[in-house]
Formats: sequence, C-alpha cells, structure tokens
Amino acid sequence: MTRAGWEVEAGDDGPVEDGKRALAYRADDGALALYNDYDRGRSILRTPKIPGTWSVRTAPAPGAHPLAAAAEVAGYGTFTFPYGPISAGVPEAGKFEVRTYGERVLGLVPVGGFKTRSVATSVLGLPVADAGLRVERMAGNLSASHVSAFLAAAESAEGRPVPTAELYVRALAQELQRLYNHVRQIARVAEAAAQNVGLAQVHALGEEILRLQGSVFGHRWMFGALLPGGPARRVDAADRDRLEHALGGIGAEFDVLWSLLLESRTFVDRLQSTAPLSKESAIASGAVGPTLRASGVGWDDRLRAPTPPYTDLFVSLPNETAGDALARILVRGAEIQASLVILEQLFDRWPTEESITEPAESPVGPGRGIARVEAPNGDLVYDVTVADGRVRRLQFRSPSAANWPAFAASMQDAVFTDFHFAFESFGLVFAETDG
Amino acid sequence: MSAPYLGILLTAAVVGLFASAPAAVLARRIGYGIALASSLLLLAVAIATLATGPVHGIAWTGPLGDPESLQLDGLSAFFALAASLVWTATSAYSIFYDDRRSPGLAVCYGLTLGAIALLVSASSFLLFLIGWEIMTLASYGMILQATGRGDRIFSAAFVFLAFGEASTLLVLIAVAAFHVLSGGFLEGPVSGAGALTSLVFVAALLGFGLKMGVAPFHLSEWLPIAHSSAPSNASAVLSSTLTLAGAYGLFRVVSDLGSPPAWWGGLMLAIGAISVLLGALFASVSEHTKGLPAYSTIENNGLILVALGVALLAEANGLTELAVFALFAAFFQAIAHAVAKTALFLSAGYVEHATGTFDLSAVAGGAKRSDPGETEGTLVAALSLAAAPPLAGFVSEWMILESLFQSYRFSSPEAQFLGLLAGAAVALAAGLIVVAMVKFVGFALLWKPSPGATAPRAAGLGTTVGAVGGILVGLGVGAPWILKGVAPGVAAFAHAAVTAPVSGLLAVPDGWSIVSGSPFGILSPPVVPIAIGLASVVAWGYFRLGGGRRTRTVEPWMAGSAPGRPGETYTSFGYSTGIRIMLRSILRTREVRASVGPVTEAGLATPVPYNVDLEVLDVFKLFYDDLVAATAAVSDAFKVAIMPGRLGRYLAYILLVTLAVVVYVAVAA
Amino acid sequence: MFGWLGRSAARGILTTRYPDAPPTPSEAPVSAHAPEPRPAVPISPNAVAGCPVRAIAPDGVDQGRCIRCARCLAQGFEFSGPVALATAKRPDRPEGPGAILGGAAPLARLGRSIHVFLVDVGSCNACNLEVLSIAHPQYDASRLGIFFTNSPRHADVLLVVGVPTEAMVEPLRRAYDAIPAPKAVVATGACAIRGGVFEGTPGLRSGVDEIVPVDLYVPGCPPPPVAVLDALLRLIGRERTEAPT
Repeated sequence: MTRAGWEVEAGDDGPVEDGKRALAYRADDGALALYNDYDRGRSILRTPKIPGTWSVRTAPAPGAHPLAAAAEVAGYGTFTFPYGPISAGVPEAGKFEVRTYGERVLGLVPVGGFKTRSVATSVLGLPVADAGLRVERMAGNLSASHVSAFLAAAESAEGRPVPTAELYVRALAQELQRLYNHVRQIARVAEAAAQNVGLAQVHALGEEILRLQGSVFGHRWMFGALLPGGPARRVDAADRDRLEHALGGIGAEFDVLWSLLLESRTFVDRLQSTAPLSKESAIASGAVGPTLRASGVGWDDRLRAPTPPYTDLFVSLPNETAGDALARILVRGAEIQASLVILEQLFDRWPTEESITEPAESPVGPGRGIARVEAPNGDLVYDVTVADGRVRRLQFRSPSAANWPAFAASMQDAVFTDFHFAFESFGLVFAETDG
Repeated sequence: MSAPYLGILLTAAVVGLFASAPAAVLARRIGYGIALASSLLLLAVAIATLATGPVHGIAWTGPLGDPESLQLDGLSAFFALAASLVWTATSAYSIFYDDRRSPGLAVCYGLTLGAIALLVSASSFLLFLIGWEIMTLASYGMILQATGRGDRIFSAAFVFLAFGEASTLLVLIAVAAFHVLSGGFLEGPVSGAGALTSLVFVAALLGFGLKMGVAPFHLSEWLPIAHSSAPSNASAVLSSTLTLAGAYGLFRVVSDLGSPPAWWGGLMLAIGAISVLLGALFASVSEHTKGLPAYSTIENNGLILVALGVALLAEANGLTELAVFALFAAFFQAIAHAVAKTALFLSAGYVEHATGTFDLSAVAGGAKRSDPGETEGTLVAALSLAAAPPLAGFVSEWMILESLFQSYRFSSPEAQFLGLLAGAAVALAAGLIVVAMVKFVGFALLWKPSPGATAPRAAGLGTTVGAVGGILVGLGVGAPWILKGVAPGVAAFAHAAVTAPVSGLLAVPDGWSIVSGSPFGILSPPVVPIAIGLASVVAWGYFRLGGGRRTRTVEPWMAGSAPGRPGETYTSFGYSTGIRIMLRSILRTREVRASVGPVTEAGLATPVPYNVDLEVLDVFKLFYDDLVAATAAVSDAFKVAIMPGRLGRYLAYILLVTLAVVVYVAVAA
Repeated sequence: MFGWLGRSAARGILTTRYPDAPPTPSEAPVSAHAPEPRPAVPISPNAVAGCPVRAIAPDGVDQGRCIRCARCLAQGFEFSGPVALATAKRPDRPEGPGAILGGAAPLARLGRSIHVFLVDVGSCNACNLEVLSIAHPQYDASRLGIFFTNSPRHADVLLVVGVPTEAMVEPLRRAYDAIPAPKAVVATGACAIRGGVFEGTPGLRSGVDEIVPVDLYVPGCPPPPVAVLDALLRLIGRERTEAPT
C-alpha cells in the first residue's frame, strides 16, 4: 500500500467518536477506511473488521437508488412529489423525491443511478492511459480532478516516477477547472435569483476560461491532456505568459462582477438563511469541500493532505460559519480569488525545462495506491490497484456522493422555491455520483 | 288562481310522517314526489306574480284581530322563484338519493320547505315568525339525520339550534320594535327615522345575518354542514334556501323602514365585505366536499349584503339610479348563488355516493363514475360561483363590482373609502374563490378513477345536477330578460316603479345589454356566448375541414417519471397549502409534528419517522369557544355565590323581594 | 443596476459572428476539428490499432466514434477537418474529409425560430454544458431564433446528450412522445451517437437511435458550441453553407 504523499495516522479497528471525525472514504470490502479528524486536522487510515455505521457508498450501484436517507413522513394531505429524472433547471439526469403536504419540503431524497456508466468496472483490464480516457469522462466538468487523482493513485501503485513539471501541469488544470466550476456555480445561483444581466456576465467569464483551456491544452475540457507518468502537452513559457495575462484579466473582471453581485440585495437576501447546514450536521452527514468549509470546518486537502506542488505553495483557506446557501457561494467566490493566487505561484515556481525527466519506460511493479485531490466540490479519493500496467481494481469516493446527505438535510423544512438555490450552492454532480 | 300550494307543501310533510311506517321507501319517494310537484306549483305562482302582478291568496282574521293573508307580492315572489327552483332540483334529487336514510329526514325536509313557503308568503310578521321557527326546528331535525359520529352530529346540530334561536330572538326584538313603530304586525312601509327604527334595522341585520351565516356568525353556516356531514339534499336546502330566507327577511324589513341613514348602508357593507373575504379564504383552504361550498355560501351571502349596503348608501346619498342598480345586483346575486350552490351540494352528495367520503384529498383515486350530466352540471355551477362568463354568477359579480366602482359618487369621504375597501375585498375574494372552485372541480370531479373500480350507478342524481347547470346557463345568458322579471321585486323594495337597467348599445339590440349607471359600464350577457360559439365553430371548422390533422394522445409530462403513480399525485390539501403558508397570520396556520416509530439512532443516517399535520384555525371559532367557556365560568360563579343551596339564604331572598314590592306599592300609592 | 449596465457597456460585444463568419481559433480549438490523415499519408496499421475507440479503419475515420483523444496525431493524423460535422445519417463512414451529408431541413417550415429541449441520458456533463453555453453571451443563440425550453410540450427539438443507460430509456421515450409534431431529434456527442468511449459497456445502449429516431448526428467529444449551433441551424435550413476550412 502506498499513498501519494500525505501524512496519515495509522490506527487499529477502534471506535470512531461521533461528531469529531467523519468518514471520508471506505472501501466496499471493508479493507480500508479513511477518517478525517477535524479537531487535529489529520487523516486516519484504518482497516476495520466491523463495518461502520457510516454509510458512504463508494461503488455506485446500478439502477435508480436513493443517495440519502429521509424520514418517513405521514400526515393529512402528504404525498411524494417526484421531480426528474429529466428535471427542468437541473441540466443532468437525476431525480428528487420530495415528501410534502404542498409548498414545504418535509423530506427530500435525491435519487441517482440514471447515469451509471460503470466506469469503475469497465476500466478493469485496460492500460492505465486508456482507463484515464474513461475516468476523465466520468464527469467532464471535473475531469482534471478525477484524472489527476486516478493517475496519482495508479502511479503510486506502480511506483512510477512523475516529473515535477507534470505535477505542475496537473495543478494548473485543476485550478483552471476550479475557477470554471465556481464561476459556473455562481452563475447558476444568479440564474435562480433571476439576476439575468449578472448571470450573462458571469457565464461569459466561464466561457473565457473554457477557451483558455482549449488554447493551452487543445481541448476545451482538457480531455486527453493528462497522461500517466509524462506530459501529453508541455505548457511552455509562451503558454504561461498567455495564461498569466488572460487570468489577470479574468481575475479583475471577476472582482468587479463579484462585488456587483454582492451589492444586489435581492441576490443576497434570497441566499441568506436558505438551506442551512450546521457545523454538527455537516460533519455528521460526512460533507466535504466548500460545503464543509461554509459550515465552519476548515478542511481542504490542498492544506491538510497536500501533494506536490501544493506542499510548496501558499494556500489560503476561505471559511464561513453560517452554513447557508450564501455562505457556500461566498466560499466559492473567495476560492476563485485564492485559486488565482495559487496560479500565480505556480507560474512563478514553474520548473525549468531542464528538470523534466522523461518517464521511466517500464513501471516498477504491481501495487495498490490511494490518492486524494481537492476537487472543486470537495475531497476526492481514488484507490487503484495496478498490475502489468493494467488496472485491476478501482474504487473512488466522489465529493458529490459525500455531499448528497448534507444537501438532503439542508432541504428539510425548506420551501419548493428554495430548491434551485440550495442545489446550485452545493455544486452536486450526478455524473460523478453515478460513475 | 287561489293558492293551494301551501297546503300541498304541508301535505308533503304529512306524507313524510307516514313514511316512518314500515315499507317506508316508497312512501318517502311519494313524499318527495309531492314536494317536487308543490315546488313546481310554487314556481308557477311566483312566475305568474312577477309577470302579471299579485295573484289571489288566502285571507283570514288572526287571533289578535289582525287581517292575515298568504299571498306573494313582487318581493316575495322573487324569493319564492329562487327557492322553488332550488327545491325542484333537490326534491327530484331526493327521490333517488334518500334511500339509505332514516324516515325522519323526509318529514323534516317537507316541513322545512313548507315553513319557508309560509314565511315567504306571509303578509304579517307574526305569520313570518311562525314560519321562521318551524323552519329552524325542522332544519335542526334534518341535521340530526346526518351520518357520522354521534357526538359530533349532536354538537353540530346543537350549534345550529343555538345560533338559530339566537337569530329568532333578534328577529323577535326587531318585530316587537316594528310593532311599536307601526302599531301592528302587517308588513308594509313605516315612516320616520329615529332610535327605534335603527333598533329594528340593527336587530334585523344581526338576526337575519345570523341565518345567512355572515361574519362573525359564519360558524352557523359551515359548522353544522361540514362537521356533521348533513345529508346532501338537506345541505342544499340549508345552504341555498335557509340563507335565502334570511336574505328575504332582511330585504323585507329594510324595505319597510323607509329612508335609511347612511350608516345603515355602511354597516351592512362592512359586514358584507368581511364575510366575502373570510368566506372565500376559508373556502379555498377547506378540505371537505361540503365544507368548501358552505364557506362559499358565506362569501355569496356577503356579496348580497355588499350590494344591499351599496343600495342603502346610494339611497342615503340621493343616488337613485345607483341604488336601483345595486338592488338589481343584490337580487340577481341571490338567485345566482342559490341555484349554483344547489348543484355543488348535490354533486358532493353524488361524490359521497360514489366514493363514500367527504374528504377532498381522499376522493381522488376512488371509484369510477359514469352518470351523464353530473360532471357538466357541477363544472358549470363551479364556474358560475367563480364568476366565469357567460354564467349567472359572472353577471351578478360584474354588477356588484360595477356598483362598488361607482362608490366615488358618494358625498362623504368615509363612504367613498368604505366602498373602496369593500371593492378590494370583493376583488380579492373573487381570486380566492377561483382557487376554491378549481380545487372542488379538480379533486371532486376530474380525478382519475382507480383501475377497475366502478361505483353503483345512482340513476337520476347526475341528471338533476346537469339540469341545474342548464338553469345556470339560462340565467346567465338570459340575464337582461331575467332582470326585467326581477323589476317587480325591486319595485316592491323601493316602493316605486322601476325599470330594469337594460338597453341596447354599441350595435347590440335593445334589451340585450345591462347598463350600470348612465355613463358607466355595459355588459351584454347573450353576446358573450354567441362570440364564444362563433369562435368555436370557426376553430372546429378549421381543424375539421383543414384536413389531415391527427389527434395524438400522450400521457402527462412528469419530468420523465411515470405519471399518476399512487402516492405521487398532488393532493387537494397540497394545492392550497400555499395559501395556508402565505396567509398564516390570518389562518393561524401551525404545524404539529409527532414522532412515530422507534428512535433507533440519532443522526441523519437513520432519520426518525414522524407524522405531520398542518392545521388552520378559524379565529372566530376560538372566540366562540372562549365565550362558551367564559359563560360557563360566570354561571358557575353565580351558582356558587348566590345560589349555594342554603334554605336560609333563599328565605332571605324571598323576604327581600316581598319587602321591595311592599315598598314599591306603598310609594306608588 | 447601473453598475451592471456600465459593466455591459465596458465589455462591449462578445458575441461571435458565426454563422456569418467561420469560427475563430478561440471558438474552435484544435480538437474541435475532425481528425484527418495528413495529405498524402496513408492510414497506417499503427493508427488503426492505436485508436482507443476503434474509430480509425484502413479506409477512413468514423467521426461518430472519434473522441478527439489526439493519440492518432503521432500516427500521421492532424486535426484539420471541419468543425461542423452534423449529418442526417449516422456518420459511420463519411465519404471523405469534410463531407456533410445534409438531408432536407426537417423543421424548415417552422421558419425562423425553434425551441430546444435538452435531455441528458447519461453524459459526463461536458456535452450538456457545451450545449447550454450556446445561450451564453459569446454565442447568444437567441439572436438566431434558438431558445431553450424546460418543457417538452413547448419544444420543437429534442437534443439528446450522453450514452443511454437502461434507466433513461423510458424517460427518453416519454420526452419524445411529449413533444408535438413537427419535431426533430439531435443526437449530440460521441456518446449519443455510438456510445463514445463507453461503447460496449454492459447495461448501456449503443446510441440514441436505438430508442428514438434521430434526425441529426453531431460528432465530437464534446462538440464545441459552434458545432451545436450549426446543427440546430441545419434543422431549419439556415446553416452556414460554405464549409469552414
């Protein structure tokens, strides 16, 4: 067992104190469990013999299935309002079953499994590079995070050395995609609040980021840009200059739009106290990423479980305590600014061309690797076993899968019209949940 | 034509009495058949009176030496017309409906009808009072025949009786004061204004208002009907004609009182507007197939008061034209409501017959129904109550709003402002009542039957409802001609010759349009259906003759899910929860949650199942509950303090009284 | 509000001139173009064997299968083909580079405006987002009479993205049935055409046309917004006629 570069505290099969630590990952066969100790800012890796009471699904099940538990509600006039799987306003296939007596949400069950493409099983036996093509197409808007985590796990399993420049390229791709996703999430919330001018301006910014990705990586979604062990595309000095210049413009533009949005009373009022999630229920429901950080828990893999190049960078940790939709959006806005700072540091410290070593021809050997990446919507974990250069076993826990129960909890007692604000503030993706 | 109609109605009651014998069904049906024949006869007499003037009635000398007679004049003939229309429908319906009920229902039914016929045709207030009291007691009897939990029926019937007797008491006060004013009991105008006249007015307004179920007495309307689930033919008679009797009494007394001060109209307008708003609001959140129409009755009776209030205000301001128009509006509203509401209650009875429930949220998914006419009739009645053209309810709502729009003509700013507020209330209620009617139609009629379920066919019930719908269309389309027929009633009220506000304008033939005020609004009820019909023919012809257009039937779009799965359809309750939440300050909405099932583990992974109820309250019911509690407490205190059951004290009371009398006699002497 | 107005004025016009002008390199990066063998270079067995989605055959490229992974660039191919590739026939074997098998525009009689209903039957979101981005300022589909609708009842076009999963077969059929005639179905992206990179995975259908009849196939993984615009314009016969070079 190898892991890609972060410190853990190995423990035995002891009980986990409620509320202090939350499960981040558990392999289906019970062979591996990963807990975050938020008090001490550490992760704990364990091999429990007794299955825990926590249930975060790692391998997506086939067919439609609930993604969170909701209370059974009975009472006069109550009924279930099915919404989806082709839901207006949610541009993905997924369903929500709302228990209600009209207007008010008494319980909400997200239902996934409409997009299950069985990536985790269909890559078995494929060479790592070919498997990467499927992994990056698990969730196109999160491709950089998924493929980076997958490759890091596979590389550490094989013991394959990775040039530093490639790690920088991966970090660059991830941060660009973080910018895109956060910008898009803000636009979606602005859309829900009918801030039409604002949403057009923010969407325009998102399109500029996509074009930037296209011009640097040749593909607007950076598909095929990251390969095991070696750079598929070199990001040369000219590219970096262009990026730096364009990102400067995007950052300046975002600052203006962000302050205009936050000056809009209708926008802020609509988000404030919508779909609140307390710190306790955020931890208890196993929330990760901006959702967790908006509820007052400062955990970010780039800080708490950093891999190069993040080990060498200054990463700020935007944090809110209100836990409502506004807090989640504020965290995203601040993370856009933080990401721009990270990108600047990347360009400053970019390894010189000479330091790039060509990848080793033959990988060292079979093994199992685990890697974590802070995706735009949270902690992403990959657990990969590789033998003879082919994937033998693949498990992952996506941030969306972890955040569905938190979303369902926050919608308790909300009204129907809160739905889009809440949903978009969580940044949930059915594609990566279903896998 | 002499007037044997009353005798026939009473005969119906007597036959009903015999119906309590074994082999009762046939006898009961004969009783209802006689009631049907009597109603048709009364209808004929009323029409004859309106068309040609009063027809000969029965006359005799009363025990107090007063001349008594039973005869219709213009005013009473109009109300007799409205009531007999309703009774024709309910009697025909009862022949098919009342086969599972106890025999007492037929007796009380006949008695109620006879009593209302009596009070409408009475020429003196003494006879009127006799009819009034028989009506109250017989209706109480009808409510006691309800199905359901015994204690609830009894308490609901008791509420009805209590409010009914309170009403009688107030009417009695009004009649007594009237006697002082006029020196007799004979109905007819008295002159002079003063404290006594105002006493007559206020007592009559409260007394008859109680029967009409207007705020704050609206409990007398909805509680007996909704809580006890009175038999549907009884509900229709109670809600359509008992309240009509109240309206008639009010019209009669006010028409006898001569020139009204402005505050009478203002008071009436205020009570009416509040009733309209409350009735519509509670109707829109009601979950009972009869409670909803009962609340709607409160709204409609409020509208009658609003129109009458505008008429009185206009008269006090010397605006004769507006006064007459508002009176026409009040009359038309009375008949439009009575007929439409009948269809709704009969339909509720039908739904109960088919599904066995009065619960709107439980109706959907019941048994399939197949009688022709029922759906159409109910739809038309609901549309009429929701004021959709070209139906009767639309014409009356338009006339009332037109009257209110003209409140700017009043001289005092207070009256103008009151008119403005009342107009806003009526308009708001018009919107809320649409919600209520959509709910009634959508959940009591247009639901999808559960697969394979068939209800016992209730032959004749549906046809009756359909026929009532037809009457409503006729009333709406023929509104200008009906108004001409209403004119004698208005004339009897205004004690002057009036002409109906009917004319021809804008290329519409003379007599086809209703005109409100000389330079104000105009409406042509016949032109609306003609326009709709023409447009339909054009559309039909286009698609029929245009050729090649196929009809493709698809299932409703439910965001990709299979539609209409059990437990996944909107409930009637859910439909109006928006109003419950938005108007929670008025409705006192509160949510009651109770955990059910074991609490296995705290936390989100295994949530605890719970039961939830969203409750609304009628604050006036709270008020009455408090009043009852306070009365009981005071009585109790009185009992303890003054009447503790000690012989000595009672002897002391007697001694004191004797002394007081002795002193009084001595002083007086 | 004035802040927003000022912002809009300061940014100026962002919208593309497409379809009046060919797509610019920023609108269509290299991988937006169809891969073709370099001039005078025959298709090598290495290229055929190295293609992870078996899009390359000795006699040509199956553009409907291609996921633009760029592996073949090392085997004598280049991204030099057209951006707009929409065809009315499943593009198994186009006749040659740049071939556009245009059928008669199926919605031509709707005139100048169509409403699009987007259905995801199992995509990675890239196609969804590319399709939705035609409404963003840089493309502004509304200037071309193209609008999105949230109800199939109001739609003329069923735009399907993703590889159909079993769970989405029935919902897709329902959506198709719910759209009033005349209607057109556009299968957008490699997954919707042939299953894309997931072709052959158990539990997945190989293409949308196994479920509903498809009028237009739009290759790409994902197709860039200009290609989506081209496809939708093609439905009403308003596409850019000159093949972009």
